[in-house]
Amino acid sequence: MKFLITFAFKNLTRYKRRTLITAGAIAVGIMMYIFIDAMLMGAEYESVRNLKWYETASARILNDEYWENRQQLPLDLSISDPDKIIDRLDENGIIATKRISIGGDLILSSQEFGEDGNLPVTVTAIDPSTDNEVFHYADTLIEGRFLEQDEDAALIGSWFAEDIGAKIGSWVTVLARGNGGFYEAIDLEIVGILNCPNPNVNRTLLMIPFDTADYYLAMDGAATEINIKLSDLADVDAELPAIQELLNGDDLTVMSWTAMARDYLALAEAKRGGTGMILFLIFIIAAVGISNTMLMAIFERVRELGMMRSLGMSDAKIRIAFMLEAAGIGLLGSIMGVILGIVADFFIINVGIDFSFIMRDMDIGYRIQGIFRGAWNPGTIVIAFFAGILISTLVAYLPTNRALKMDIPSCLRHQ
Amino acid sequence: MNKRLLHTALRNISRNKRRTILSATAIAVAAMSIVMLFALITGMTNDMAYNLKNYYTGNIQIQHEDYAEFERFNPIHLMVDWEDVKPALEDIEGISAVVARTQFPVSLYIDETNHGAIGVGVDFADEAAYHDVENIVYEGRLPEDGKNEIIMGGTLAHDLKLEIGDRVTMLSTTASRGTNAITMEIVGIASFPVTNMNSAVFWIPLDRAQYFLRMDTGVQSVLIKTDEDVKEKRLIPIIEEALLKETGTTFAVDSWKDINMMFSLLKLAQNVYYFVGIFFFLLGSTVIINTTMMVIFERMREIGTLSALGMHGKELVRLFFLEGVVIATIGSFIGVTFGVVITEILGRVGIDFTDAMSGMDFEISSILYPEVNIPLSIFVFFYSVLIASLASMIPSKKAAKIEPVEALRYI
Amino acid sequence: MKIKRRPLMIMIVMLCIATTLSAMTAEQIMREADERQTYDSSRSSGQFKIKDRFGTKVSTFDAWSKGADESLIEFTSVAERGQKVLRTEDSIYLYYPDAEELIRMQGSALRQGMLGSDISYEDMTGGKDRLSQYDIVLEEDSELVFGRDCHVLTLTAKTRSVPYPKEIVWIDKENFIVMRAEYYTKSGRLLKEMETLSVGTLSGIEVATETRISDKMKTDTETIMILDELEVNIRIDDDLFSLDELSW
Repeated sequence: MKFLITFAFKNLTRYKRRTLITAGAIAVGIMMYIFIDAMLMGAEYESVRNLKWYETASARILNDEYWENRQQLPLDLSISDPDKIIDRLDENGIIATKRISIGGDLILSSQEFGEDGNLPVTVTAIDPSTDNEVFHYADTLIEGRFLEQDEDAALIGSWFAEDIGAKIGSWVTVLARGNGGFYEAIDLEIVGILNCPNPNVNRTLLMIPFDTADYYLAMDGAATEINIKLSDLADVDAELPAIQELLNGDDLTVMSWTAMARDYLALAEAKRGGTGMILFLIFIIAAVGISNTMLMAIFERVRELGMMRSLGMSDAKIRIAFMLEAAGIGLLGSIMGVILGIVADFFIINVGIDFSFIMRDMDIGYRIQGIFRGAWNPGTIVIAFFAGILISTLVAYLPTNRALKMDIPSCLRHQ
Repeated sequence: MNKRLLHTALRNISRNKRRTILSATAIAVAAMSIVMLFALITGMTNDMAYNLKNYYTGNIQIQHEDYAEFERFNPIHLMVDWEDVKPALEDIEGISAVVARTQFPVSLYIDETNHGAIGVGVDFADEAAYHDVENIVYEGRLPEDGKNEIIMGGTLAHDLKLEIGDRVTMLSTTASRGTNAITMEIVGIASFPVTNMNSAVFWIPLDRAQYFLRMDTGVQSVLIKTDEDVKEKRLIPIIEEALLKETGTTFAVDSWKDINMMFSLLKLAQNVYYFVGIFFFLLGSTVIINTTMMVIFERMREIGTLSALGMHGKELVRLFFLEGVVIATIGSFIGVTFGVVITEILGRVGIDFTDAMSGMDFEISSILYPEVNIPLSIFVFFYSVLIASLASMIPSKKAAKIEPVEALRYI
Repeated sequence: MKIKRRPLMIMIVMLCIATTLSAMTAEQIMREADERQTYDSSRSSGQFKIKDRFGTKVSTFDAWSKGADESLIEFTSVAERGQKVLRTEDSIYLYYPDAEELIRMQGSALRQGMLGSDISYEDMTGGKDRLSQYDIVLEEDSELVFGRDCHVLTLTAKTRSVPYPKEIVWIDKENFIVMRAEYYTKSGRLLKEMETLSVGTLSGIEVATETRISDKMKTDTETIMILDELEVNIRIDDDLFSLDELSW
């Protein structure tokens, strides 16, 4: 056996060109498979990330009755002492931040914006000191600064800003109903513009400090929601019962992001079918490419095989030798392919492709950001690596076997 | 001379069948996969286009001139008089079907709480001529004209815990800028091919919508389906003129491509898919190049023999190139044909992804119908021939430069 | 509310007008204005002229009321014929001829404008407990509004559950008709404005016959309410304000 391995290895190093071409074919196939898979995974993962980073967090604590009435954005169905709950979560190692969602009208004056107007908005009041531990808005700031505690200031989504013509330093008025139902108008200076990769958010986002909302809307410290960040790897649904346990007696419920984004997930599910087909096709090309090159490489060597037989080498040993060689080529190709694939993945994951110019002004329900990025999928890389070796080895079996069935003279005459 | 070369090339091809088959298969599979991928992409984007055209805008959409500007305020009174517009469109060539629809936001009043939803008034008889409207029925039946009946998106019905036979009261703003409410019975559950619609939309008969919303004979928009070969751009001025002549009013007549949001959605999807498509071409090309180059290297000894027999370098390159062209043509032809035939069959039967969605409360049938893209298939054919032929030139050029003796020693 | 005392009140008021008008406290003025707008029972008809960014529409109505808490409006104009708004002591119900159930307006639904006007359902219910919900101060004893001498009252909300934390009301010294009212947000921004454009005598009672309400946060919108007929202290069947009767 040791001899066979050395023999196969020698053959591989001796015919460098053939080895390289064959391994190259395998490598390209594997690289492409890994790369396209990363792209398709990216489409899916990115949208989930956009959802969790900018809309739902991993899970959310709400008043028992809030979810049912969420369309009305009720301020009275609230969490009366959010800090107590956050402390309790913190003791259990869970990161959380409080927020208030406020429904209102954005009033634009003609002095600032050229014409008078009013449009319905949802204002999110955030705790500037902890919000970024759960959400990722600070990273998307493209102009101005982030919010500070207790100031009459607002952050706005860049598309929203563009739509209404708001700039840093513009003043807008939000007309809302305070806790209890009284009218309140809040004048806010735009201090920062966020370019959030989640288009749904970027088109509607208006954020103010928690304390400001608390003061104007008489919330008495209450929040409408507490958002929780769990590790990306955590099984959110499995963690919920433990969190719910912490909330007992407070009339509060914790909801996972999957429960909050059900419609979206249904859509993602439907897309997965088409994605699978594309992967299947690319697998076919890659597999055919690999097998074909392998078949060629073996057929080319039928004469060599005849020579080995005439020199008295047993059929079994020849078969093993040839398959070992094929496995060697497969291994080489797979290594090259995985390396190339990882390099290509680095590009698509870290740099990405910019599609934002066509993303403007549309609601696609599928939350892909303007810059299209891939995602790592270690499973595919491992599978592709072994598939490369396996396919080459198995494919080598057929022509070797056929050649072994021929008589030696025809082998030697073989062209 | 060329004839002699061609003859030799053909003989070489038929003599070494195995080699021919191998390299032709590689080319064929590559070509076939590319054809199939693009059929899949075309199928997916056409599906989207179909949904946009059938459920949102039509090929051409007619609305009140000011509707778009005030859309945010739900200006249901900015309507199109269907009785005036319908006859005006009748004699225009290039229009294959016309439907009128009115979309209106409502509050569904259930157990003393309001739930937002979107109602659409449609003429079910006209719809049947426009598209396969029966296809949306998941359970029950379509509403009948003149009756207060609803067919509701499955997810919406599920969310509101409504079933066939339930009666719901809806509240909306009317064309006279007042409010109105009406009670209707759910007679059907719909499975709209668009997820967003399933969770928000219900359909009622157009005449009941007109009555409910005090629209008289008005409708919110008119959707026009054009004949296959008709360009929307060409038809729009004709429609505008006919409408002006008949009604004396100017309308907003827009191609679905100009109703910005919808079309850009499609464009984005297409771009992402085509980007994936590029990689198919790349991968396909490497398979072709690789196989072709292997074939030539394998034949170094043959090259040596031929040049020892006095064949010139240029002639050698030409011979191998010719062989490459012939094999590539055969391979691409077979590949493209197979690709076209398979997708044609799949396009008839459809690829059913419904299973993938069975975990959901409401099953959305999602069947994808790949569509053969003929110009692209032709392109793929020539592309594969070109790549393979070029690929055969590189090693043969190199081989032609080698000394005969050296080539003979080549294994 | 204080229906039974009305005849006595009128006599007192008559005396007041003649003699001790300026001596009235802010609360008394407010109460007097409320009393005058409240009838044992009434039947009236009139119209709304609602102007928004799309133009003006006119709706006509018949209305019945009983005391301060119960009222019924039935619309008679073509577009909304047969629609009714019933106000009982604690709720507002909408009746639509084509709907099989009454729609009860509550919570945030009350914030919608009636018929798309600048008057919200909440505004319709709002006035009734003003005396208990607001601190009332007599700001200015005399100010002219449309040529009429008025008291100026400032109302500051005691609770958060009223929509307008601050109101300023101009009440005619002679007939106690509210000539003008301004409604403010908590931080003091003018939200809505109400003005009495004309005062007339219907069935021998002096009432505001034309009132304009405008939303100061929107441009180009106003609602004008015109009262064409008014009969008071007539016999009204109690059942008129019952839910069963509403959906007859």
